[in-house]
Amino acid sequence: MMITRKTLPRRTFLRGMGTAVALPFLEAMVPAMAAIRGAKPPVRMAFVYVPNGIIMNGWNPDYEGKLGELPRILKPLEPFKDDVLLLGNLTHNAGRALLDGAGDHGRCSASYLTGVHPRKTLVDIKAGVSFDQIVAKQVGTHTRFPSLELGMEDARQAGDCDSGYSCAYTNNLAWESETQPLPPVLDPRALFERLFGKGQALTPEARTRENLYRRSILDFVSDDTRKLEADLGPTDRRKLDEYLSSIREIERQIERAEHDNAQIDPHMEKPYGIPADFAEHFKLMTDMMTVAFQSDLTRVITFLVTHEGTSRPYREIDIPDGHHPLTHHRNQPDLIEKVTQINSYHVKQFAAWIAKMKSIKEGDSTLLDNCMIVYGAGLSDGNRHLHEDLPTLIAGRGGDYIKSGRRIVYRRETPMCNLFLAMMDRMGVHAEHFGDSTGRLDGLDLA
Amino acid sequence: MQFPGLAKPSIGIVFDCAMGRIDDALALAMLHGFDGKNEARIAAIGLCTSDLKAAQFCDVVGLFYASATTGVARIFMHLTPIGLDAGKPSARSAGGSPMLDGLLAKTGADGKPVYSTTVRSVNDTADVSTLIRNALTAQDDQNAVAVLTGPATDFAKLLDMYGLKDLISQKVKLLCMAAGAFPDGPPEPNIKADIAAARRVLAGWSVPIVAVGYEIGTELRFPGESIEKDFAWSTAHPVVDAYRAYQPMPYDAPSWAMAAMLYAVRPKENYFKLSEPGTIIVSDDGRTSFAASDNGRHRYLILDPAQKERIIRTYTEIASAKPVERKMRKPPQEKNDEKKEEKKEDTKEEKKQEPAN
Repeated sequence: MMITRKTLPRRTFLRGMGTAVALPFLEAMVPAMAAIRGAKPPVRMAFVYVPNGIIMNGWNPDYEGKLGELPRILKPLEPFKDDVLLLGNLTHNAGRALLDGAGDHGRCSASYLTGVHPRKTLVDIKAGVSFDQIVAKQVGTHTRFPSLELGMEDARQAGDCDSGYSCAYTNNLAWESETQPLPPVLDPRALFERLFGKGQALTPEARTRENLYRRSILDFVSDDTRKLEADLGPTDRRKLDEYLSSIREIERQIERAEHDNAQIDPHMEKPYGIPADFAEHFKLMTDMMTVAFQSDLTRVITFLVTHEGTSRPYREIDIPDGHHPLTHHRNQPDLIEKVTQINSYHVKQFAAWIAKMKSIKEGDSTLLDNCMIVYGAGLSDGNRHLHEDLPTLIAGRGGDYIKSGRRIVYRRETPMCNLFLAMMDRMGVHAEHFGDSTGRLDGLDLA
Repeated sequence: MQFPGLAKPSIGIVFDCAMGRIDDALALAMLHGFDGKNEARIAAIGLCTSDLKAAQFCDVVGLFYASATTGVARIFMHLTPIGLDAGKPSARSAGGSPMLDGLLAKTGADGKPVYSTTVRSVNDTADVSTLIRNALTAQDDQNAVAVLTGPATDFAKLLDMYGLKDLISQKVKLLCMAAGAFPDGPPEPNIKADIAAARRVLAGWSVPIVAVGYEIGTELRFPGESIEKDFAWSTAHPVVDAYRAYQPMPYDAPSWAMAAMLYAVRPKENYFKLSEPGTIIVSDDGRTSFAASDNGRHRYLILDPAQKERIIRTYTEIASAKPVERKMRKPPQEKNDEKKEEKKEDTKEEKKQEPAN
């Protein structure tokens, strides 16, 4: 068999005018012989964190095994239930009081990925290196960004956010060291520039030029794009076109958001570029997460949707009450109903992202297939501040590893850190112990 | 749950047993009785058996003692899971227990089970080692006591867990184990059931260890008449039904586990005399012997005949204690939350009242 086609390097960028746009995984990047042997795309992982617990009656199915009809909160995932694995009874003991009294919200977010009981303090913060960063340190050498830390609300890093716990605990998921959290990027424009600008962002000159002409960033790389297209087959040309279109769509959304913000509330102090609408903001961030995974800019993302203890109202769905106060419902049906609606609303946004990830082909599989996207919370029952049976699902198969479409219930008190150890294995990072792990979570790969 | 600023919590008890004998059930009733009097707190209950019915029994007893708590306090009440050794079935668990079978099968006049349980499968229980580890992390230093009244299997496994040796030394001030015979005697069942584990625990738990010998439990018998008399306030008491199901009435029950529980919670009440310090040695056939030494960490209980009546009176009083209504021990977290919300509401009101410029 003659193999003549020239292989495109995986780290190919479209360049021009201080801009570098990474490319998605294209067939042309697979060495011909490797393609025959079935080379696999990389495995990526993401964490999507929602705060204040979940109404568990609306989350947990009353059965184990193959997923049938999903409970109310998970309904938006119904079309994708074959791509989802529900995990029951995972526990974060480190999030519990353990003699430190009040502050479950501060603790549960600080311990969520670190597996460590954080020091109760406003000043000399201390938790632990989060497991996403352990993975990022090793896997991140293959990508432009070892990891991305994203969020949608309140990036304060100081002050008291929960009963003596610093805001650094509630407002970050990723910790680079035991004293250094990695604050999430909230502004879609900042994220966009970080992903697609040269280096960390465009130079002031390039930014000025861009703003002056309001041109698409794709215009800057149009010469490179044309040259590349000439070398691609029809499948890759279509894929590249879809990919660049998605970047342009994100640009348009950001422009719309900036325009809308100016009209909606000129008195509101809001960072430039952040949409007022929750769903729109969520979509923008996840669209860029999609592109970041698709183009292998990173393989590790944490996304703090809103932070623990948030009292954000959800007027978008006619709930003017604050989220956190509602969760202390004391079993009052009307309040439980509102929290359920908020929980469902979050899952609805998440499901839309999953739909997009599933729609993107990657070799014989989809982008979603090659990811492990954990959606969950650091509390189960927000009313009682319980740190057990944490709502946890994994979307994606981690590259033909996870057998999805099921619900697995583990024994009570099973450490969440056992899941992290299993995920580390899948990401190619070996560790014997993490946080309060007692072993690797079994059963993820068993049908 | 313990909160800083509130009164110092009572001692946390980690209770591990096989729940196959009636004295285990009575010791569990005593633990709930002490908990109701705020003399002790239930930190963790572990079962060194794979018999799910043992876990269901402990759950039934827990629900019984929680039944007096109602209203908001009930909403916020959280019962810790029962630890179950879900591994290889032990000889005892494989044979079943008339005590557990009888209790859980009991039906009322309507044909429905008298006792309901939240433990439906092994997933409703916890791994014993993980449960005890987690419970110990929540105790003040030197404010936990471990009570072992079954084979030492679970406590030996704890020593294999990452960081547990240090945690035990930090948190546990005493291990009280119903095991052995002193100063000598035939092989005792708990030791014989897992000799290697008994040796590991005696050597590896770096805390003071007090053994309750076989002779203590056989000498101090829980009076069967107490079941008819002292528990008469309840129409359906799970421990009473367990007692009746264990063997034909009337009988007086040996009290190895009860003696261990009593000493664990009230070590300074002079119910028992203590041996001098030394080391408990386990022979290959399961017999125990004791070598006195000034720096030894082990002791064993010695029955003081003068205290016999007092001890049995205490057994019946504590085991038959009524469930206590728990008041809402509001965590400061929620108080703070409420304050914050009140403050926000006040601010909103103030803003509303401000004249528009």
